Amino acid sequence: MALWIQISSGSGQPIYVQVAEQISEAIAKSELASGDKLPAVRKLASELVINPNTVARAYTRLEQAGLVTTKTGSGTYVSDPKLRKSDAADINILTERMDTLITRGLNLGLREQGK
Amino acid sequence: MTETVLETQGLTKYYGSTLALDHMNLQIPRGCICGFVGRNGAGKTTAIKLMLGLLRPTAGSSRLLGCDSQQLEPVIRQRIGYVTEGHRLFRWMSINELEKFQRAFFPKHELEKFQRAFFPKQWDDKFFADMIEYFGLPRKRKIKHLSNGERAQVSLALALVPNPELLIMDDPTLGLDAAIRRQFLEGMIELIMREGRTVLFSSHILGDVERVSDRIAVIDKGVLRANCSLEEFRAAVKKVVLSFADSTPADVDIDGLLHLRRSEKELELILVGTADEQIAEWAKSNRAQNHQIVQMNLEDQFIEYTAPANHRRLFRWEEK
Repeated sequence: MALWIQISSGSGQPIYVQVAEQISEAIAKSELASGDKLPAVRKLASELVINPNTVARAYTRLEQAGLVTTKTGSGTYVSDPKLRKSDAADINILTERMDTLITRGLNLGLREQGK
Repeated sequence: MTETVLETQGLTKYYGSTLALDHMNLQIPRGCICGFVGRNGAGKTTAIKLMLGLLRPTAGSSRLLGCDSQQLEPVIRQRIGYVTEGHRLFRWMSINELEKFQRAFFPKHELEKFQRAFFPKQWDDKFFADMIEYFGLPRKRKIKHLSNGERAQVSLALALVPNPELLIMDDPTLGLDAAIRRQFLEGMIELIMREGRTVLFSSHILGDVERVSDRIAVIDKGVLRANCSLEEFRAAVKKVVLSFADSTPADVDIDGLLHLRRSEKELELILVGTADEQIAEWAKSNRAQNHQIVQMNLEDQFIEYTAPANHRRLFRWEEK
């Protein structure tokens, strides 16, 4: 599955954030369904040629956002949407994205349309 | 509790009256990949040579795998891999001869059977053969007839095949094409996946460092300026752009200020380790109209972090 993850190493965004965001996007688009298993940390690290600790950190971030759950000794799975809790980090990501969207909307002159 | 595999204490080197390395205290815990970065002439190679006992320090000491660098015994050296800057190998040997030569430093075959049990298998013939085949290198060709890239590939194979506990590489990807550079990164990741391996590598390609490292050591004019997790460094160095209604404040007094640039109504600050809240507070109390914390990439962070005070751009656009 790792093939669609794209690392850009000159970016301002830390690599663990890039990995976490791309996986969370895949979950949002239902490309990854609840119960799907994420690749093992070492496997993904090897495929993307990034440090295994970076992958582990991305998974932790997804776990904190409630998007995945880790079962000890078994692996990391996409969690059931009903059981997901939205926390501050999650909302922060959303706010950042929305800010970009709103800016673009305003630049396109969308504000006029409400009137 | 993490064990330290590489430790220097007050490591100092003078070449004549020139100070090349100034009291370096570096610790590297087991199991990480540490990117060692610094500008040309910052002292990276000197530091590495001192660590490996290839140079004598003027003062201070260093220890690798618990042993003093100046007294590394063969049994310890067997556990340490070293890739020299420029991949210097014996030019008159063929790849086959070089393999034989290197293998001889890991004399497991010469041990008595009961002794072998105490030595992990080090030199892996099949691994070497696989790598040479993967690279498509002609085994009978002499090193001097290989291209720079091919020589680097041989050097990578020679470094990885003994499965070193600690691998130190001095700018291994210098002058290499993107594909061969990626092979070095893959090699480092492959090694680190094995239990308890540690890598220290110097590089000028910050994108590569960011990709594979989880620690970073920054050296500047012989002084170690940072030695922390990569994440910590990424989070610590920040750029803040503040804009003001009429003029910028004359005195800028904020914790962690590294550089300051002003234009008429704008202030650009480079800060180290200043919390976002603190920045917001400072902006408010100095009546900034707004402030923006810019996410820098590692390369920009490095350039700012190692730039001298009051440094300006080489060229600057001016309205005529």
